[in-house]
Order: sequence, then structure tokens, then C-alpha cells
Amino acid sequence: MFFFRIVMMSLRGLRANLLRSLLATLGVIIGVAAVISAMSILEGATRDVVDRFESLGSELITVISGQARVGGRATTLQTLTVADADAIMESGTTVALAAPEVMDAASCKNGARNYQASVVGTNEHYAKMNNYEVASGRFLTKEDRLGSGALVVVLGHKVAQKLFGAFDPINQSVRIAFLSRGGPRGFRVVGVMKKSGNIGFRNVDSQVVLPVTTVMHRMLNLRYVTTISVKANSAELVEPCIGEIKRVLRRRHGLRIGENDDFQVFSQERQRREFMEIRRLFAIVFYSIAGISLVVGGIGIMNIMLVSVTERTREIGVRIAVGAQRGDILLQFLIEASVISLLGGGFGLLVGFGFSTILERMSQDILETYTPPKVIAWALAMAILTGIISGIYPAIKASRLDPVEALRYE
Amino acid sequence: MIRIRQLTKLYPMGDELVRALDGVDVDINAGEFVSITGQSGSGKSTLMHLMGCLDRPTSGTYELDGQSISVLSTHQLARIRNQRIGFVFQTFNLINRTSAIDNVAVPLFYARKTRTRQAAKRALARVGMDHRAHHRPSELSGGERQRVATARAIVNDPLLLLADEPTGNLDSKTGAQILELFHELHQSGVTIVLVTHEMSVAAQAQRVIRMADGKIVEDRTIDDAMRAQMIQAGI
Repeated sequence: MFFFRIVMMSLRGLRANLLRSLLATLGVIIGVAAVISAMSILEGATRDVVDRFESLGSELITVISGQARVGGRATTLQTLTVADADAIMESGTTVALAAPEVMDAASCKNGARNYQASVVGTNEHYAKMNNYEVASGRFLTKEDRLGSGALVVVLGHKVAQKLFGAFDPINQSVRIAFLSRGGPRGFRVVGVMKKSGNIGFRNVDSQVVLPVTTVMHRMLNLRYVTTISVKANSAELVEPCIGEIKRVLRRRHGLRIGENDDFQVFSQERQRREFMEIRRLFAIVFYSIAGISLVVGGIGIMNIMLVSVTERTREIGVRIAVGAQRGDILLQFLIEASVISLLGGGFGLLVGFGFSTILERMSQDILETYTPPKVIAWALAMAILTGIISGIYPAIKASRLDPVEALRYE
Repeated sequence: MIRIRQLTKLYPMGDELVRALDGVDVDINAGEFVSITGQSGSGKSTLMHLMGCLDRPTSGTYELDGQSISVLSTHQLARIRNQRIGFVFQTFNLINRTSAIDNVAVPLFYARKTRTRQAAKRALARVGMDHRAHHRPSELSGGERQRVATARAIVNDPLLLLADEPTGNLDSKTGAQILELFHELHQSGVTIVLVTHEMSVAAQAQRVIRMADGKIVEDRTIDDAMRAQMIQAGI
């Protein structure tokens, strides 16, 4: 009850000098606003990325051609083959599925309708690996990629919609011309996929899937594939799986001990961890910058409190004369400083929140922001702490006033 | 109620030692109305500060209601000020931006009392100010402010009311009203010690103690004749 009364008394004291008090907390307001805005943007981006990672699953491993940075530039040596993918698949208990991938862009035509789609040439495991489901018809099969590859295509949801509208595309013909070269050639539609949005960093709805051999042999005349995607049997088996993949590929590529890999292996799990690490660094930077602003704010508050103590010297004298303990005076001024700081923090919260919302609107929701309750709690805690720390010196000064002199003060 | 023996207060001023109080002996009984008078520098304010436990003596003893003050801690002194003593100042010393009733309640607040509003209202009624309980000091006249200050001084039912030039900032008419109030309080049993340099005000008490150079030079009860004389001398 006593505590509540002091808080009320502090608020009354503040109201008298509201503008002055608010100016004193400018540093706090800016610090809190900055940290709220920055963390909201960071959290929004993190959520977006984590969602994408999650949609891929943590068992996913990606193998790409070429060595890592030799002499500062990544080599473009192509080394992976379809047979490599098959070998990985058969290698052991850690691997669940493996799919080679070749990518390109192409224009797809159905009569007068045209659509620019991305193309992925891959094998029959691609869909299952990515939890990518068939809406009608079927996905690719092993037979489709035998020999030079069948002239069949599986359409992403948006592609099917754009090219066929309400009509059933199954067994219809689509003419596909690759951007690099090759085509146009006619392909038979064997399947349409469900609407899936983003899988990893690809929008699969505007993608068409062809047998990998068809792309390599009939269209682009390639010997090698760009990447091999591998799904481990479980998240825990990702590391052993990576070991297995390396073993298989090194053997197949004839690499001796001591020679570098002529490929690179990435796992979603590793990348996610690296991302979270970077995110953590960003958060530390943001909080540090906010901390600097709070120090400035704290100095402002301490200043104002010292002025307040001087202005109210008589009043403090009276309070002591009627029986206030030193601790009572100390507590009163400490609470006043904390209340000022907290109000500044609250205001900064609104400003930061408003700012990140405006940013979100202006970017038409491309930039998503999210303010987690933890960040709000931290910001307010930092504000109160600033108030307490900056208020201690003035409060001690106030509590140590000699009542006789204080009462004589002009 | 008050027993003071050889009370001395020294404090350094530059290279010299000032003897604000020099071995003062005085007794004041419960229910008395005493005024302490003298020129500035006579030590009357210092004596009042020591009586009010606002300061500690350099040497000597001060007993208030049987309790020896010199051995008490700062914390205990604050409690004594809160519960046993009430102050009325020349400059009223009310807290701005705070209503009269909240001003009066401040000592109760520091006494950790919970039902403060009623006690504050009663005190205001006793000084005739309960109709202005929610006004701020800036909305009150000088006399009204001093009344509120007096209410604050008595709200905790103190043993002793200490007044330091209570009419100093008031015109003669209002000052007389305040002194009348003091008389009423005295009649209802409050012990009053009034410090002033004005003869006509000092004459209001039953007993006048005159000080000079840190010592008591005169201490006598006054009768009506003397009172009239003193008031004449003051005008």
C-alpha cells in the first residue's frame, strides 16, 4: 500500500513538469524504439527463414559441384552425375532418398497460352523428398528417366492454371522451349501438383518437373547435374549421412586421401544453425546500440532528477521534519526516476511498434515484422533498470540532506 | 515533559567555532504555552531545532517525555519527529500541487497508517479548514495555508507543537487569527513552544524565555499587566 502511494505521489510530481520529464527520457525513448523496431524486423525475417527451413525439413542435405573457394574464387568444375545420385541412394542405412537436379528456365506453351516457368530435371524421389504432393495424375517414375528420358512433364499448380485454366491437363501436350537452348519440343502432361507455395527457397507452383535424363540428353546436352539433394533417415542421422555421401563420392570420383573434395555438402540443419548464429549476433548488436542510447537517456534522467532534488530541497526538509526516514526519501526519488524511465520506455515501445508496422505496410507485406513478447519485456526491463541506476545518485543526495539547512534553503 | 541540561551546540564557521547554544538548562511541563524570544543569533532557532530533534547537540542532555534523545539513532529520531512533535514554519512549507488534505496526511503516510483520510479530515476540522480540504496551496490565502500547516502539525497527536515565527509572513489580522487558533489548541491540552523575535507575539504565551548569545537570560511567567506592556512595546 505504501509502495502504491509513493508511486501515485511520483506520478503527481511528474505531471507538474511533464514536458521536462519527457525530454529527459528522450534517450530512453529512442533506445527502446530502436531496439523494438530492429528486433521486430529481425524476428520477422527469422520467422520467414525458419518457415522456409522448416518446409524443407531438417533431414535435407544438398550436394553441389565444384570445390569451395580455391584462391578466392569458386571453381565451376562440374563433377556430379545421375549415377552418383543412384550410388548415394544405395549406400546404406543413413540415406532415405537421393535426387539429382538440373535447373533452368523455360517458356511453356499450350496453344496461344504462354507461361515462363522454372524447370527442374530430377528423378522419381524428388516429390517425396520435399513433401510435394500430386493433385492429379502421377509424379515421375523410374521408367521416365531410362535411356534418353521420356518426353513427359509434371506441372506446378500455377503453371497448370495459367496454361489450362479449368481444363484437365492430364495427357495434354505442352510445348517447352528452354532458355539456355533446346526446344521447343512437345511434352505430355502426366501429373499436376498441389498448390504448395515455397519449398525451401523455390516457389514450386511456378515450376515444371521433367525427367533428369530428358533435360540432360534431349534438351541441354549435359553430362553433369548441378546438385544432388539427399534426405537422411532422421535429423540425428544427418551428420553420419554426410559422412556416407562424402565416402561414396570420393570413391566414385577417384579422389585419394589428402585431395580435397570436388564437391560441397550442405545440410539444412547446419545452415539453419549458422543462420540462427548470425541472427544471434545481429540481436547482440541491436541490443548494444540500444544500450548506448539508454546510457544517454540515463544521464538525462539523472540530470533532471538532480535538478528536481535541488528545486525541492525545502520540500525534502519538510518531509524529514515530519518524520520521513532516509529510506523513505531515497525510495521516493528512486521510484520517481524509475517511473519516468518506464514511461519513456512505454512511449518508445509505441514509437518502435508504430515504426515497424509502417515499414511493413510500406513494403506491402514483403517485409514482415513480428514483436515477440520477450523483446517487449526486455525493453521495459532495460528502461526500468536505466531509471533505477540513474536515479540512485540523486536519491542518495536527497536522502542525505540536513533538514535544518534544507528548511532554510531559498 | 522536557528536561534540558547543559545543552550546547557548537559548529565551525571558517576558522572559528560558533557557540550557537552555550550550556542551556530549561524545563517545560506538559500543557504549557511557552515562547522563546531574542534577537537573531541569540540561539532561539537552534534551541528549537534541538527540541524538535532535527539536530543533535554537541553536548548536554535532552529528555523528552522521559526518553533521552541523545542516545537515539537517526531512524529513531525520525520516528519521534513523526509521532511526538509537530512543526509550524514561518513559510508554511506545504507541498505544492498537493491538496490540503493530502498535505495534512503526510505525517500519517510516513507513520505507515492506513486510514489517513479520516484523521486528516478531523485535523482540518479542528483548525476550521475542512471546507477547503481539496484545494491546493496555491489556491489558499496565507492564513489558510498556515491553518493547513497547523493541521498537519497536530494530525499525529503530538506531545509538542513547535512554531517558528508562525505569523512572520502574515498580516496582523491574519496573524492574530492564527494565534487565536494556537490558544484554542492550548486550551484543548496541546503543549506549545513558539519561537519569535516579536515581543507582541511572544506575549501571547503564559511564559516567556528570553535568549541572547546562546544562553537564557530571562525566564518568567507573565501576567496580564506584563502582557499588555509587552504588546505595547512591540507595536
